[in-house]
Parts: sequence; structure tokens; C-alpha cells
Amino acid sequence: MDGINQFIHFTGFANLTIEHVIMLCIGLVFIYLAIKKEYEPLLLVPIGFGILMGNIPFVENVGLQIGLYEEGSVLNYLYFGVMKGIYPPLIFLGIGAMTDFSALLSNPKLMLLGAAAQIGIFLTFMAALALGFTIEQAAAIGIIGGADGPTAIFLSSKLAPELLGAIAIAAYSYMALVPVIQPPIIKLLTSKEERQIKMKPPRAVTKLEKMSFPIVGLLLTTFISPGALPLLGMLFFGNMLKESGVTKRLADTAAKPLIDIVTILLGLTVGASTQATQFLTQESILIFVLGAISFMIATAGGVLFAKFMNLFLKKGDKLNPMIGAAGVSAVPDSARVVHTLGLAEDPSNYLLMHAMAPNVSGVIGSAVAAGILMGFLLKVF
Amino acid sequence: MFDKFNISNIVENDGVLISIVGYLVVFTSLLLLAIIITYFQKALQTQQRKKLKSLGHRAADSENLSISGEVSAAISTALYLHFEEKHDLENTVLTIKRVQRTYSPWSSKLYGLREIPKR
Repeated sequence: MDGINQFIHFTGFANLTIEHVIMLCIGLVFIYLAIKKEYEPLLLVPIGFGILMGNIPFVENVGLQIGLYEEGSVLNYLYFGVMKGIYPPLIFLGIGAMTDFSALLSNPKLMLLGAAAQIGIFLTFMAALALGFTIEQAAAIGIIGGADGPTAIFLSSKLAPELLGAIAIAAYSYMALVPVIQPPIIKLLTSKEERQIKMKPPRAVTKLEKMSFPIVGLLLTTFISPGALPLLGMLFFGNMLKESGVTKRLADTAAKPLIDIVTILLGLTVGASTQATQFLTQESILIFVLGAISFMIATAGGVLFAKFMNLFLKKGDKLNPMIGAAGVSAVPDSARVVHTLGLAEDPSNYLLMHAMAPNVSGVIGSAVAAGILMGFLLKVF
Repeated sequence: MFDKFNISNIVENDGVLISIVGYLVVFTSLLLLAIIITYFQKALQTQQRKKLKSLGHRAADSENLSISGEVSAAISTALYLHFEEKHDLENTVLTIKRVQRTYSPWSSKLYGLREIPKR
């Protein structure tokens, strides 16, 4: 009889709480959005399923070694890559090997839009401070505005590991919701005429320029912000593999199997880290609210800066201000959103290549910002 | 939820200073990168111009030496079509070779279908 009692005591039904039910529903919503609406399915399916896995109720801390937060469990080992910031640089390696910086190289001034959009990080950092978060936690929350999941995970693993789950979920959720969040802000800040501006087609970039960019980019950005070395080093290394032309096999591995494997592990474990007993707190809800604000400010910052740049540009060189929204670095979703909005206004206006420039410079900008915040706040002395 | 809200927390933690310095550094680093790329491109053009001049090419005097992506796409398409038309050997595959695979329910296509085809 004792055995039966123990078995019942160990089942999920006996340990189910309302928090578990809420989290299971959130996981199902993520999976629904990924399959039905196709919002970032490569991220939302692993994260959504991870949320389901992480919220199966069980008796904790009795040596079962099941849960993500229990030492010695399989999920705990896989989560190690998140906790120690191993997965984000590997994702950056893959992104580097996939990214074509031609659009950026052909029109370098678009790089400033990627910088402008980082305003979301610093304004949210101040808002989080005002709300009573510690300075390290505020910095980790602010980086959600960079709309870069790997960067958010990397910085929070260093500065505020206790908030890692909430920050990662918030960052990836908003990245997936780019098609929902950005269009209203873009439309609010631009006129119809501005949205119809056609930009000059980008010039063809030489192989030498493409090969030099990862070297120049690495040296310049990491000398200014050494904290970003693991991220930017891997990003530019991946790009060097692609552009050198002699390491096709390595570039293919980084851009396909490696990034896929890391995405699976990262998505699943980040999802599973939302264990209701650890995750559903007032702090997590505040992080979600701040993350949304951060993302909106970043989008607005990019668009407004593009309009500001137009004040100084000649008539034929004017920018379509919508591409400023792509500075938030959710690659390539925000560029795709801008492209779709452009086509909706004028079916012959193709903005994808133009929007990719601020988009990739946003990736660099948010990594630099993360490095700067680490430089300010990491306690090493 | 907002009970800890206190605007003075920002000043006490040097929040304004960190934000201004941080944002300026991000901006400066990307601005520097943009300037370097621009001048690198100009240096390459100057070198190319010298080379063209030494060869007595007329294009050396044109304002912009670089071509747009659209032009290079048009050239590539023209070259591709030209070389595609030049082949003198027709593809002589007349039959479709049937590939034999051992059946296994683990890799059955039928079980992998999300929607069963309507007959």
C-alpha cells in the first residue's frame, strides 16, 4: 500500500499547481503561434516544447534528478551551455557564416541606424533601475531591447543569472513577435510618402572588401568593447569562413548543422528553464513589460533617426525611414517586416537588401552595447 | 508590482552616466566602422582608377567606378544564358531509374504525412 501511495504522490497530477497549468498553456500558445502563424517556428517550437517539458509537475529535490534546476539531471547538463554563455557565441558563429554584409558595405552610413536603435537598451536600463532592480539586473533586462536572443542570454548569464530564464523567454518572444510589434510603430511615425521612398539599388561589393570587413570589424569593435569578444569574435570569424572562399566546408558546417544543433539545445533548455516554481514571479512579469517597452523604443529610435538623417541627405539619396526599424537586430525578421510593409505601400519597392544593412549592424551594435555594460558592471576587482 | 519605483535609483546607481557613455560608445564604434569602410572603398577605387589609366581605359575618368547590383545581376544572367546555349551535347536520359529501398515503418513516408492525400 505504501508503494501505491508513493507512486500517487510522485505523479504529475498530485503535484499539479495553478502555476504549472498557466505555464503549460503558455507553452501551447508558443507552439500554436509557431505552427499556425509561422512566427519564428525554429525558435518557438523548441521553446514552447521546452516550456511543456519544464512544467511537468514532480516532487522536487528528492534526488530524482529530473528537473532542469536539479544538479546531475540531463536537462541541467544541457542548460550548462546557457548558464555559462556557451551557446550564444556558437549561434553568432553560425549567423556570421550565414550573413552577407554586402548591403552594409555598399552603403556604410546605414550602419548608424543600427546604432540608433540601441537607444532602447539604455532607456530600459534606466527604467529597470527606477523600478528597483539592481544595476546588474537592470543592464541584463535592458539588453532585451537589442532584440537579440543570444546577446540577452550572454549578458544575463554574466550579470544576472537569476533572471536568465525570464530574460531569454522575453527576448525570444519579442523577436518572434516582430511582425506584430513593429508595423504599428513604423506606421505611426512615418507618412505614406515616406513609406513610398525608393532607395538607390546597392552597388556590387568587391571580394576584397567583403574579406576585409570581418578583420577590420573585429579589430575595431573588440578594441573598443572587449567584453563583446566572445560574441563579435565568433560573428566575424564565421563571416571570415564564408568570405575567404577557401573554407566552404567549415562555413557550411557553422551555417547549417552547428547552428541547428545549438538552436535546438538553446531553445529547449531556455523553454524548460521556465519551471513554474522558479519562473512565475512578479519580477518575471515586470521583465516582460520592460522588454516590450524596450523593443518599442528601439524600433522608434531607428525610424526617427532615419528621418533625422533624411534632413541632411540629397533628394535622390533619401532613406526610406522604415528601414530604421530593422536596426533592432532581430535578423532577418525585422528586415523582412520592413520589406513587406514597403511592398504593401508600393509593390515595386523592394527594401529587403536596404533593410538588411541596419539589421546586421544592429547585431554588431547590441553586442558592443552588451560588452560596454559588462565593462561597466562586471565585478572583477 | 511598482512599489519599489523610485526615480532617484537611477541617479544613485550612475544610471544616466552609464547610459549616456554607453550609447555614445556604441554610436562611435559603428560610426568609426562606417568611416573606415567608406575610405577603404575610396582607396580601392583610386587604385583601380590608376590601373585603368595606365591601360589607357576610358572608364578611368568616370565619376563612379562601381557598378550597381542590378547591373551585375544582368551581366551574370546574360553570361549564364550564353553558356547554357553553347552546349552541344543533349541530355540523353530516356528512362527513369527506379530506386529500391527496403521498407521500414520508421522511415515510412505515409506515417510522416500531416495530411493524408484525398483520393
